Amino acid sequence: MIGHRSLGFVAAAATLLAAAPLSTIFQRWTWLIEATLAVAVVAGVAALTRLVRAPLWGQILGMLAGLLLALTWIFPGGTEALLFLPTPATFAHFGELLSASAQDMRSYGVKVPDTEPLLFITVLGIGGVAVLVDVLAVGLRRPALAGLPMLAIYSVPVAVYVDSVPALPFAIGAAGYLWLLISDNVDRVRRFGRRFTGEGRDIDVWEASPLAAAGRRLAVLGVALAVALPLAVPGMTGGLLNSFNSGTGDGTGTGRPGQGSPSRIDLFAALSGQLNQTQVMDLVKVTTTDPDPFYLRLGVVDDLRPNGFQARPPTGQPANRTLPDPSERTARGVVQRTYRATVEVSKNLNMPMLPVYTEPVRTEDLSGAWLYDPNMQILFSNRDNSRGKRYAFDFVRSTYSPELLRQVRPLPSDHPIKRLTVTPAVRQVDALVKELVQGKQTEYDKVLAIYDHFSASNGFSYRVTTEEGSSGEEIVDFLTNKVGYCQQYAAAMAWLVRAAGIPARVAVGFTRGSSAEGNTYTLTNRNLHAWTEVYFDGMGWVPFDATPAYGVQGSTRSAWAPDVDAPEPAAPAPGASGAPAGVDPSTGAQQRDNADRDPDSGLSLGAGEQAPQAPVWPWWVAGGLALLLLLAFPALRRLALRRRRQASRRPARPAVSTAVDGAAPGDARMVVLGADEDRARADAHAAWDELLDTLVDYGVRVIGTETPRATADRLVRAELGENLTAGDAVRLLGRAEERARYAPQPLTGEQLHPALRAVRTELASRADRRTRLLAAVLPPSVLLRWRTGLADRSSSVVSTMSQSRYRLLRRWSPRRLLAGRATR
Amino acid sequence: MTQQTWDEVGGLLPHDEFRAASEAIVGNIERVIEGKTATVRLALAVLLAEGHLLIEDVPGVGKTKLAKALARSIDCSVRRIQFTPDLLPSDVTGVSVYNQETHDFEFRPGAVFANLVVGDEINRASPKTQSALLECMEERQVTVDGVTYQLQTPFMVIATQNPIEMEGTYPLPEAQRDRFTARIAMGYPGPEAELAMLDGHGAVDPLQDLRPVSDAATVRRLIGHVRQVHVADAVKQYAIDLVTATRESPDLRLGASPRATLQLLRTARAVAALEGRDYVLPDDLQVLAVPVLAHRIIPTADAQLARRTTDAVVAELVHRLPLPHDRSRRSPYDTRPAPPNNGHGPYEPRRP
Repeated sequence: MIGHRSLGFVAAAATLLAAAPLSTIFQRWTWLIEATLAVAVVAGVAALTRLVRAPLWGQILGMLAGLLLALTWIFPGGTEALLFLPTPATFAHFGELLSASAQDMRSYGVKVPDTEPLLFITVLGIGGVAVLVDVLAVGLRRPALAGLPMLAIYSVPVAVYVDSVPALPFAIGAAGYLWLLISDNVDRVRRFGRRFTGEGRDIDVWEASPLAAAGRRLAVLGVALAVALPLAVPGMTGGLLNSFNSGTGDGTGTGRPGQGSPSRIDLFAALSGQLNQTQVMDLVKVTTTDPDPFYLRLGVVDDLRPNGFQARPPTGQPANRTLPDPSERTARGVVQRTYRATVEVSKNLNMPMLPVYTEPVRTEDLSGAWLYDPNMQILFSNRDNSRGKRYAFDFVRSTYSPELLRQVRPLPSDHPIKRLTVTPAVRQVDALVKELVQGKQTEYDKVLAIYDHFSASNGFSYRVTTEEGSSGEEIVDFLTNKVGYCQQYAAAMAWLVRAAGIPARVAVGFTRGSSAEGNTYTLTNRNLHAWTEVYFDGMGWVPFDATPAYGVQGSTRSAWAPDVDAPEPAAPAPGASGAPAGVDPSTGAQQRDNADRDPDSGLSLGAGEQAPQAPVWPWWVAGGLALLLLLAFPALRRLALRRRRQASRRPARPAVSTAVDGAAPGDARMVVLGADEDRARADAHAAWDELLDTLVDYGVRVIGTETPRATADRLVRAELGENLTAGDAVRLLGRAEERARYAPQPLTGEQLHPALRAVRTELASRADRRTRLLAAVLPPSVLLRWRTGLADRSSSVVSTMSQSRYRLLRRWSPRRLLAGRATR
Repeated sequence: MTQQTWDEVGGLLPHDEFRAASEAIVGNIERVIEGKTATVRLALAVLLAEGHLLIEDVPGVGKTKLAKALARSIDCSVRRIQFTPDLLPSDVTGVSVYNQETHDFEFRPGAVFANLVVGDEINRASPKTQSALLECMEERQVTVDGVTYQLQTPFMVIATQNPIEMEGTYPLPEAQRDRFTARIAMGYPGPEAELAMLDGHGAVDPLQDLRPVSDAATVRRLIGHVRQVHVADAVKQYAIDLVTATRESPDLRLGASPRATLQLLRTARAVAALEGRDYVLPDDLQVLAVPVLAHRIIPTADAQLARRTTDAVVAELVHRLPLPHDRSRRSPYDTRPAPPNNGHGPYEPRRP
């Protein structure tokens, strides 16, 4: 009974520990005090009912009653008798509390304040769980099942928090559960008598129980599997190891989006993380008056360090004031039109930035917490985040013509933006840039040459599952491997352009997406994108998207940066001199029209089909072949074995020699030469082994205690039946083997091979189809041999290990050392 | 009386000669004992293995007839001892009597001085008398008054006895049982054999008409042939395994002796030769295990309580013992653990 009582209190404590995850929901700890009271009442009532040896249903009823009294006392409605006796009005009060709690759940966000309805439902839930746990663990002696109601508590914060839940409360709950399990087991062992703690054992030997050893082995195997399996599965890249990788690669680690200031966010990590997600979520819904909008910008990465591009902390002015007008600083000839856009950010995008088109001039519905950085042209906030925001803004869309860009002079070296040309020195990159821009006069031609370099004809292709990163080596890797996604393309182009002495940066945002209704575009996490912006003096930041268009849904191109992979003859050949005539503005226009007409297709034009994508089918074929080979391996092994045995089974030369003093023809006592003798012996053994394997293959029993003669007799009697040929054949095989084993002279000059074939044919004809198929495809003899070989080897390994461990323990056992000291 | 020691026998005989001689003896005996070919051959095998035969069965199944038929088929000296409760050891071995003419003691040989000694109802004599046979059966000599007399070759004791639970019998001492190479049971004849027996034995006893078909010299040559039969190492190992298994079996209080190993292999040689082989097979050992081993071993009290006869225990051992291979690698189908190096099995040998 003592054991039971203590188990009951352990159950109550475990319930409270399991309730720890609720601390992430409430602002204060009031709920814990009240829940502790309720659980204590439940546990006390349970102990009392067990003391009077109430049946299980009595215990349940008692605990429920205790819970009811506790609830009545903690949440008084003013109508109870004697403070804690419920009246019908109390139940009405509880009903009100319940419905109010549902309302509160809807109205409050996480970290809820202490409202009475919420506390009520919490205490009610925890108390109910306490009753369940007590019944399961103590009443039914099934503490493992008690984990389920505990898990139910944990599921509450999981359901409330979308992204993740802190691990510590869960660990506390799990510890409570383990405590419950352990005390139950201890209690169970105690019922047999005294608990055995190991005293009085033979001190020299320490023998692990086989169950514990098996458990350890299973645990090791489980951990190894859990680590290895996600690495092996191709889709699961967002794992633990990968995040370590990216952490070292970017130098910044994976910042958690939506927390902290903008500068702390690793946009690249967020980008690749979102692109690699298997789940597609709507992030942004934007409606614009622009008939052909460019990409929606979210952030800018322009700080190039040796370990890659990073974001700088933005600075700016409140966005709800008037923003600088771009028309004041851009050169004449740039076509500028003002449009309006309305953006609706979903709850899934949790960033300290807001997506805008370039360049916003006026915003609506934004609080003073939102700032605008005129250099980066982004909206950001140090306090608020983008989750669920709705806003509108006017923006000025600039379009440039190649001719205009070509007139741009190089930036004066003292220009503040010139510092964005700083690149870490990477020899291969510098060499490549030098080669690309050689002979190019204007800034635009240089940029275009670099831009054209990332074309399919140069071997560049798109794949989203590549190692991320934009440090020097990774850029070189990318330029060598020529496989990557928008992050690599944008960063590499920015790097190259900077290396050419022209300021460039990487912009991160959304493409136009694949689903549009009229002027409303719905953008998902798959539409996140990065591209390059190049600064031209007097023009501002001009976007170039070097990523292959077929890899990006909703990709768009402009007249000054045409699609290098497009089949139009007007497109400049990669690496060509980039003559002005080669760039026809109509190309861009035509493409825009196409994109307008078919915005759902996402992929722009037919470029994707022509891109030299590595065909997949050889891999499938190779994989299938490998699988077939793997499956056929036992059969092949069997065939090889049979062939080898047959090779040695050509009959040895018929006895050449003299029979001893007039032996009768039936007398087998012949004198054969030594070599022939050995050969005949080997042949007989090979034939017999083959016969045994055949027997195993066809499911005929092979008995280790049988002599060859007895085996042959049994086969004739039981397996081969009336087939006299096969009977004679198997007797011949048995005779040959027995002579080879036991006689001074082996049997020579007999045709063992046909005999073997006869036996096999007869066995096959007697076996059913399944056995035949199995014998042909997965010969049991080979499998059996492998299995026994494996078992032998593993057992020898185990015995070696246990011997060495025994020796080690014998020498270094602490018990022995202690005992030796004690007896001395 | 030729005093030929038992070692001076010939070498290998031509196959057909051996066969003719052995078949003649078997055929001759079968004229008296119908339908018991296997038993008859085994008896002959024991003779050729230079052993002694114990025929044990209930009264009236032809034990004495077999013994006499075997003795009569071979033209050699045959003596018969009818073991009675008042038989004395000197009746078996011989006695020195005082010769008044020469004024000296003179040795009068007992019944064992013959090639074939038929001891009928051996368990009716007292153990004192039975033990007179101990020396002559094993060492083939008789020592009386300090003088040792060699016996002739072939020398064979064919004893018959009733099962010891019959009344008026003394159980054989263990030492004496161990000296018998094989114990065979006659068993009841089959219906046809019994019918033939009624036809043949109805009027006259065919034993009276039995003529010898062989002589002592021929038997010596046959014995010499049997000694040359080849025994492969694997077969020797198997014999050792078998005997070791009896020593380690939990059902047995006393296992088989090394003498049993020796006689098992000798008998196996004889059986192989009788079957026309010049090499011994494990099959021979398997067939002989029960006749050769079962009468020497003593079951534990538990096994006796469980009504397990020694025959059943030995048969089960034979059934369970895997065959040794003379090749180095073990059979892939032999899943038993490898035997330990010192040859001892999982249990300690029992001490009685």
